[in-house]
This record gives sequence, C-alpha cells and structure tokens, in this order.
Amino acid sequence: MGGSFAARLSGLRAPLFAVMVSLLLAGCGINVIPTSEEHAKAMWSEVLNQYQRRSDLIPNLVETVKGYASQERDVLTSVIEARAKATSINVDASTITDPEKFKQFQAAQSELGRALGRLIAVSEAYPDLKSSQNFLALQSQIEGTENRIAVARRDYIRAVQAYNTELKTFPGVLWAATLYRSYKPMETFTISEEQTRAPQVRFN
Amino acid sequence: MSGRVVGRAWGRGGFAGALAPAAVARAWLAVALAMALLAAFSTGARAYTFPPLTGRVVDAANILDPVSRAELEARLVAQEEKASDQVVVATVPSLEGGAVEDYANELFRAWGIGQAGKNNGVLLLVAPNERKVRIEVGYGLEGILTDAVASTIIRNAIVPAFKAGDMPDGILKGTDAIIEILNLDPEEARARARAEAEETSLEDWLGVIVLILMIALWIYIFWRAARSGSGGRGARMAGRRKRSGEAAAPVTTWDWGSGGGSDRDSGGWSGGGGSSGGGGASGSW
Repeated sequence: MGGSFAARLSGLRAPLFAVMVSLLLAGCGINVIPTSEEHAKAMWSEVLNQYQRRSDLIPNLVETVKGYASQERDVLTSVIEARAKATSINVDASTITDPEKFKQFQAAQSELGRALGRLIAVSEAYPDLKSSQNFLALQSQIEGTENRIAVARRDYIRAVQAYNTELKTFPGVLWAATLYRSYKPMETFTISEEQTRAPQVRFN
Repeated sequence: MSGRVVGRAWGRGGFAGALAPAAVARAWLAVALAMALLAAFSTGARAYTFPPLTGRVVDAANILDPVSRAELEARLVAQEEKASDQVVVATVPSLEGGAVEDYANELFRAWGIGQAGKNNGVLLLVAPNERKVRIEVGYGLEGILTDAVASTIIRNAIVPAFKAGDMPDGILKGTDAIIEILNLDPEEARARARAEAEETSLEDWLGVIVLILMIALWIYIFWRAARSGSGGRGARMAGRRKRSGEAAAPVTTWDWGSGGGSDRDSGGWSGGGGSSGGGGASGSW
C-alpha cells in the first residue's frame, strides 16, 4: 500500500512540477520582453503605415494645387522633392534599433511634414483653390493623416518606453542579460519633432 | 575548548538568525519597489483628467438644455440598438492645454467608445471655451465616416449653428449628420451589428470550452492527489475551492459581455472597449 502511494505521488510530481515551474517563470516575467517587443514592433508598423498613407495622398494634392496656383513652383517642387527623399529611405526591421538609420528616417519625414505645411499655408492665399471641393477633401485627408501619424507616434513612443524600461529594470534586466541578449533597446522620436503638429485650418 | 566551539556555533547561528530576516526584508523591499516602478511606467503619465462617462451624452461644459439632451440620448440609443455603433457626445469646460485632436483621442480611448472587436465608436467633442470641435472616429468606422466626410459635417452642419450662438442646435445637427452617414447603407449597418454579435459569441464559446477543460484538468490532478494521500487533505480541498473561485470570474465577464444590451438601457451604460487611431476631423469657430 505504502509502495503504491509513493509510486503514485512520484508519478504526480513531474506534471505538478512542470506546471509550477511554468507558472513561476511566467510570474517572474520571462514573457514580458518578447511580448513588449512585439507590441512595440506592431506600433512601429502603424507609424510606417500612416507615413505611407500621407505619402500616397501627396501627388493628388500637388496636382490639385497646381491647377489653381501653378506660380507657387518653389513650394510645389520642395514638396515633391521631400516626398521623393522620404520614400527613397529604405526602412526595415533594423531601423528601430539603429540610431543612425532612425535619425535619417525621422529627418526625412519631418522635412516632408514641413514642406506640406508650407504648401497648405500658401494655399490660403488662393480663394478659388480654398473653396474647391476637391481641395477641401484632400486637405481634410491630409490633416486626418497628420493626426493619425501623431497618434501612431505617441503609441509607438509609449510602447518603446515600456520595452526599454523592461530591458533595464528588475526583473527584466536579468532575462535581458541571460536569455534575451539579442534584444536591443529601440529608438524613439525626439520631442522637437513631436511639437511639429498637424497644419491648422481655420473656418471663417 | 568545547565551550569555545559551542560559543562560536551559537554566535554563527545568532548571526545567521539576525541576518536572514533583514536580508529577506530587503529583498522584499526591492521587489516591491521594482513592482511600483514598473506599474508607474506601464500605466504611463496621463496628462488629462477626464469627466466620467455617465451616459451617451456627457455635458461637462453645461451647454445643453435637458430637452435637447434627452433628444440626443434617444437618437444615440436608437443607433446603438440598430447597428451596435456607440456614438457619444461630450462637451468639456477645458482641453487642459492640449490640442483638441490629442484630447479627443485620449478621451476616446479612456472611455473605450465602440464595441471591443469592432471599434465602431464615434465621439463628438465640443470645447466651447476653446471654441474647438472634433469628430473622433474609431478604427472600425474610418471607412464609412471618413476624414473628408467628418470635415464636411463640421463645416456645414456644426460650425454655422455654433457661429450663430446656438450650441444645442449645432450639436443636434452634427449628431444627426453622423448618424445619417452611419446608416447610409442600411444593409451594411445591419451586417456590422450581426458580424459583431457572431464574433463575440464564437470567441465566448471557445473561451468557455478552454475554461471547462482547464477546470477538469485541475480537478483531475487534485482528485488524484487527494485519492493517493490521506494527510494534508484539507489543504488540497482548499486548493480546489480556490481554483473554482478563480474560474468563476471569467464566466461572469462572459455573461457581462454578451448580455450587455439590457445593462446599457438601465442606465449602467459604458463604453464597449473600442479604440481610435486618430481618424476624423476637427474645426473651430
């Protein structure tokens, strides 16, 4: 009787031990680094998605403005050039962990943002353009996209903050030093660019 | 000689005894600090203090009369019953120094407007003191209530009435226009409501099945353990009771999730957990 009891107990011990260990490891945050990395990556693709959306809207906007204000050649060319430069930058998975690449990406996108802002600003001087339905629709789309970019960037900044903090604080720092050595801290947008907000529109 | 040995042994024991609780306490303190730090970071510093979501119309700036408030509420209830869309009208006394776009997005997410899987929420935010208005659209409705449409609603329905000084009229007209756009294609609106119901029920059933399997596994494990040993039985029974107590919580969430319809009508209405990525348009007057 005693022998079979011991045998049963030892048979039970292995699965119970496995359950306990997995619970214990999960409780110690073994999953937190990969999870928050995936989250930050997802937020990053949303940022890229919205920048792409803005880029897609630009040719249409440029054509519309050209129809009413072709003399604003400087502003129009600067938008086209900034767009070409921004799209020429190759973005891949390593962009977010490479400070140099990230800086390049950020600089090109903010240059495009500034050029677009100037284009919207000069458009104010052309009443025909301002009242054209096509322009109004495009303008609201551009504004909407700028706002989505701002939201996507904010979400990305928060996700990266959580991920980078996890890499540097206990208990994440233990996992980062042992199991997750290949996980690098991610780059994030700087405040100065965060302040360049969507071009404002006035209804009057 | 032997006295010295005993004395040393005692001294060592005393030292270990004195050290152990202090070390444990320090370790616990470190763990607690780390937890607090992580919690502080994970919640993030939210800059705004939002009014509570008391219903579909939250008039924190006090610009609506009771009649138009009731009328608005009725239309918004009808829309949610028809297409499961959650449209919320909010007026705030202050944007607390933030941009209307930023404030609206944070408020939308804090309230969780729209059904969780569908993100079919719309927030009409009016800040009379800053003279700003925004229509914030959830992810799921961006294709129907596009930025251009939202901008047209603000320009043509809301801003003219606001300029004339009639705030309730502008809000009513804007809400009507939003609801009209949402119902432009009635078949599509019905499909939206249907898809939402099916999706949650399927997920719920999967969750319940997994839950039952897990409970069965635990019962089996503890039944085996209890059968094989007579000692420590009380502790094992307590363990089993604890498991079933844990299991009860998800079931209640599930009940709440699928039977929310009656809850919402009895005043205990809340956001469905939807989110927004900054779709919509803003304007000022």
